[in-house]
Amino acid sequence: MERTESRNIPWIIKYRPRTLKEVIGNKEGIRKVVEWLKSWEAGPPKKRALLIYGPPGVGKTVAVEAASRDLNLELIESNASDYRRNSDIKSFAGLASQYSTLTGRRRVILLDEIDGISGSIDRGGLKAILSVIENTRCPIVLTANEIFDPRFLPLRDRCLLIEFKRPSVREIVSHLRRICLLEGIEADERALRYIAEKCNGDVRSALNDLQAAAQGLTRLTMEDVLWLGYRNRKEDVFKVLRTIFYSKNCITVKQAVDRTNLDLDMLFEWIYENVPYHFDSPFELSEAMEALALADLYRKRIGRTQSWSLLRYVIDLMTAGVALSRVGRTGRWVPFRFPQRIKLLSSTKKSRELLSKIGSRIGEKCHVSSRVAVRDILPYLRVIFQNDRKSAEGLARWLELDKAMVRYILES
Amino acid sequence: MSVEMWTEKYRPRSLSEIINQEDIVNRLIGFVKAKNVPHCLFAGPPGTGKTTAALCLAHDLYGEGYRDYIMELNASDERGIDVIRETVKTFARTRPIGEVPFKILILDEADNMTADAQQALRRTMERYTETCRFILIANFPGRIIEPIQSRCAPFRFTFLSREDLTGRLRYIAEMEKVQLLEDGIDAIIEISEGDLRKAINILQAAASVGKPVDKDVVYGVVGRANPYDVRELIRMAMEGEFVKAREKLRELMLKYGVSGSDLIKQIHSEIFQLEIPEKWKIRLASAIGETEFRLIQGGDDEIQLSALLARLVEVGQIIGKDRE
Repeated sequence: MERTESRNIPWIIKYRPRTLKEVIGNKEGIRKVVEWLKSWEAGPPKKRALLIYGPPGVGKTVAVEAASRDLNLELIESNASDYRRNSDIKSFAGLASQYSTLTGRRRVILLDEIDGISGSIDRGGLKAILSVIENTRCPIVLTANEIFDPRFLPLRDRCLLIEFKRPSVREIVSHLRRICLLEGIEADERALRYIAEKCNGDVRSALNDLQAAAQGLTRLTMEDVLWLGYRNRKEDVFKVLRTIFYSKNCITVKQAVDRTNLDLDMLFEWIYENVPYHFDSPFELSEAMEALALADLYRKRIGRTQSWSLLRYVIDLMTAGVALSRVGRTGRWVPFRFPQRIKLLSSTKKSRELLSKIGSRIGEKCHVSSRVAVRDILPYLRVIFQNDRKSAEGLARWLELDKAMVRYILES
Repeated sequence: MSVEMWTEKYRPRSLSEIINQEDIVNRLIGFVKAKNVPHCLFAGPPGTGKTTAALCLAHDLYGEGYRDYIMELNASDERGIDVIRETVKTFARTRPIGEVPFKILILDEADNMTADAQQALRRTMERYTETCRFILIANFPGRIIEPIQSRCAPFRFTFLSREDLTGRLRYIAEMEKVQLLEDGIDAIIEISEGDLRKAINILQAAASVGKPVDKDVVYGVVGRANPYDVRELIRMAMEGEFVKAREKLRELMLKYGVSGSDLIKQIHSEIFQLEIPEKWKIRLASAIGETEFRLIQGGDDEIQLSALLARLVEVGQIIGKDRE
C-alpha cells in the first residue's frame, strides 16, 4: 500500500533537496545566500533583503528552503499572489517586525516569484513591500525570473542581488542518475543526457520528464525518452488531459480540445493510455472505454467515406464522452503516462516486420496467407526447431529462412 | 531426402489421391475429363482440402508442368483489389498453349475481401472468362457477394471424419517411422477438430520430441505451441485487473502477432467454458459479437478489444456482487 502511495508523489516533491549539499549547481550563489543569512547574527546588514533572480527551475526557492533548514531558521513563505490587498501587506509587515518566533528560532521570510503573477505588484504594493524591507527585523528573500523591468528599479537598489544560473548538463545528469538509482531503474547514460539537454537547465522539468518516461520501468533506454522531444506539446496535452479527467461539463471539455492544435490521433492515444488510471470504478471504466471505442469507429468512418463532418463526433466521444463517464468524485492525482502503445509499436517494429516476412516464406510453401502461417503453422514449426536441430536446418533451407529469421523463431 | 513440412510432403498431388470429400472429387474429375472448368467457389472449414483440391485439379488438367498455367493469390496478403486486378490482367491476357484454352487463378481466403473489392473482382472475372477461370477459396461462403456466388460452381467442403483423419495420420507416421500410439492419435484428433493441416502439424511437432507419440507428448507439444492463453486474459479482466489485461493484450498482438479477429474468436469460445451464470454467457456473447462487427467495420483491434476487456471488468464486478 505504501508503495502505491509513494508512486503517486511527483518526483519533484519526493526528491526535493533537504540540505544545501543536495542542491544542484549554483555553488557560488548559494555561498553568497548563506553568507548573507549568517550576517544577520550580528544585527541587520546594510541590505535587508535578498533578491535571487534566474530562469525557472534552477533552484532558487529550493536553495532558500535548504539554507534555512541548514541554518535552523524558520522559513515563512508568504503568499505573493496579491500584495495589493492591505491585509496581506499588514500581515507581511507584522511578520517582519519581530526578530524571532515564540520558540526563539529566528525566521526568514520568502516572497516567491514576485514577477510571476502579472500585475500583482502595482505601485502601491511595491511601495509597501519596500517600506517593510526598510524596517524589517528579519531577513527577507525575494525571488524572480526577471528583474530588469523598470518598475523593479527601486527594489534592485534596496536588495542584495544574486543571480542563479542554469546548472550544467553534467550536473543534471548526475542528479537524474542518483534518482534512478533510488528508484531501482537502470538508466542508459544517453537517455539521461537526452533529458538533461532537452530541459535547458530547468531541473524541475528534467525531473518531471524523467518521471514521465521512467516510472514503472526497470530499464530506461533511449527509446523511452525520445518522445520527450515534444515537450511543449506535452504541456498542451497535459492541460487537455487534466480537463478531461477532472471536469464534468461537456462544453468545458470540448473547448479545451478546440483551443489546442494537438494532433487528434495522438491526443486519442494519450487519453486511451490514461483512462484506466483515472477511473477506479469498473462501471466508469467500461463506459469511458466504450466512448473511446465509438470515437475510434467514427474515426475509421471518416477515413472510409472522407466525411470530415463526422470529426465532431470523434471529438465529442473521446473528450466529453470520457469525462462524463465519471459518476463519483474525481480520483486522486495520478501522473500522466505516455502512450505505451506508441512506444511498443516503434520498439517492436523490426520484430513485427521479421515475423511477417517469416509468415510469407512459410505461406508460400504451405499455400496459406502470411497471417495464417504465423497463427497456425509457426507455433508448431518453433517446437520442431527447438526439439530437433537437424530437421530445423533442413526445414529452414526448404522454407528459405535466413539466419535472423531462424534466430527469431528459436528465441521468441 | 529434403526435409519439408509434412503437410506439404504428404499433400495429395492428384485428385485420385484425395481420400475424402468424394462427391467433390468426382465432380472435379468430371471437369478434367471434359477439359473444361467453370469458375468455382470452394467453401468450408480450414484443413479440409480446399487448396489441395484446387492444386490437384490443376495437376490433373495440365499435367506435371501445371505450375505454368496457374497462379495462386492470397486475398489476405495482396494489397488491395488493384494489385489483384493488375496481376490477373497480366496473367490472364495470354491464352496458354496446349489442349486447355484457359489458365486457372486460385484466390485463397477470398472471404477476407471487402464487398467493394469483390465487386471489382466480379468484373475482372467476367472480362477474362475466356482465358482465365477462377477458383475462389473461402471459409465462409456467406461472406462472398451474391453476384460472385451465382457465377461460380459451389463446392461445400466438410470436416474430415475421424476415420479419415486416423488413416492419414497412421499413414504419415508409418512413412516417417514414427511410433504413434492409440491415445496419441485420440489426442491429436480431439485437438485438431477435423482440421487435417493442424493434425499433421501437431504430429510433426510431436515426432520431433523423439519419443513414441502418446497423449502426454501431444498435449506437451500443443501447450508449448500455444504459449499465450486467452483464458488468462479473460480471467485478469473479470478479476478487475484491467491494466494488466491490456498489457497482456498488447503482448499477444505485438509479440505473437495474433490478430484481433483471431483473438475475438478464441474469447468467444472461452466464454462458454467460464464458471459464470448461464445468462451472462449469452450477454457476453452479444458484447463479443458487437466487438467483432466493429473490427469488420475497420475499428482498431486494440482499442475495440480493450473496450471489450473493460466490459468484462464490469461484468466480473456485477457477477461478484450477485454472488455475495
